[in-house]
Amino acid sequence: MHKLSRLAINEEGFVFNPTTGDSFQVSETGLVILGKLRDGHSDEAIAQALAEKYEVSLEDAQRDVADFRASLKNLNLI
Amino acid sequence: MDELYIGVSGINAIDNPGPGIGVARSLKEDPDLAVNIVGLAYDAMEPGIYMDWVVDKSFILPYPSGAGEAFVERLLFIKRNHGLDVVIPNLDAELPLYIKHAAMLADHGILTFLPSMEQFRLRGKDRLLDIASKISISLPCTKIVNSLDGLLQALKEVGLPAMVKGSFYKAYKCHTVAEAVSHYHDLVAEWGYPIIVQQVVTGDEMNIVGLGDGEGNSLGLVGIKKLSVTALGKIWTGVTVKNQKMLAAVAGFIREFKWRGPFELECMVNGEEVFLIEINPRFPAWSYFATGVGLNLPSRLVRRCLGLPVPPVPDYDAGKLFIRYTYELVTDMANFQKAVTRGEAP
Repeated sequence: MHKLSRLAINEEGFVFNPTTGDSFQVSETGLVILGKLRDGHSDEAIAQALAEKYEVSLEDAQRDVADFRASLKNLNLI
Repeated sequence: MDELYIGVSGINAIDNPGPGIGVARSLKEDPDLAVNIVGLAYDAMEPGIYMDWVVDKSFILPYPSGAGEAFVERLLFIKRNHGLDVVIPNLDAELPLYIKHAAMLADHGILTFLPSMEQFRLRGKDRLLDIASKISISLPCTKIVNSLDGLLQALKEVGLPAMVKGSFYKAYKCHTVAEAVSHYHDLVAEWGYPIIVQQVVTGDEMNIVGLGDGEGNSLGLVGIKKLSVTALGKIWTGVTVKNQKMLAAVAGFIREFKWRGPFELECMVNGEEVFLIEINPRFPAWSYFATGVGLNLPSRLVRRCLGLPVPPVPDYDAGKLFIRYTYELVTDMANFQKAVTRGEAP
């Protein structure tokens, strides 16, 4: 989480990593997941919140969280 | 405050730009310094001579070769006839002369803020291993060679592709032995021995511009990542970064070697590993980037040099973008004529 906490994120989902100089864009859903991961929420809690906010099944939300986490791993952020 | 006459070289703002215009522009932007920029040029076609909103007056200098008598005499002429309180040399080739004559120039009222000759030699590419080991960063596998046999042996040990570099200038990425041998001969002919053979490392190209006070303290550092470069490898766009490992290594460099003056430290960063590539003992061509994010290093250098108050080192924001662009000016041919015939303009 230490690396995530260093990221600069704006309200439009533009993310800048001040350590590497890399930048990327996340979707609205990604922005929600990223914010909650930075706040220390569990994957299960984030999926639950997504399911309620976007009225999708818990299973879909869990998949979204897992996919997003894999993307962060690819970027060496977790 | 009386007007300060600050000499700045490297005002060749061309496609491979010298650092001078960024340095001069930074000095002009210090509202508390009354600065008259003296452009120190080597060619009448250096664009800075004609950029009168940055450079107030320019002089053509003889090339800094040999013992440098003519070069020094020209500086003293400028001092007597125009004014020259401080010089910020920005080109590698002139630094040894300025360092050698620093005390004499100071006696004549021309101050510099430069590393010692020992420090200058230390950053030679054949000495980087000493530096890297003392500041706890990595150096790509490096072999120093002084013969063709040595080159071939080094290529076996380092592997291909490999970088073949002159001791102070130029570097070529070589994919074959024949390519390496060809560049080896070119480099020896141009710059002499030794030649450096170095492993190619991958990662993000990050650089730091900094200023050491000569007593082990930093007068400011800014880290950047190159986002795009020209065919010559010169930065075209970049972004400020705060890579803590790189910044800590550079702080260690200033502390350990008591570096005096400006410098640029070039690194390759691959995840957690920081490789030292090169140290340049002067401001880089992109040094205005630091000024643009709030750290005016040329101004701090002049203040330190003259014993004026140097404000505390300000922090800078990561994520600020640098974009170089091209521009044109149209001026009277008379300025060119003056530069050619009188050696000064306007």
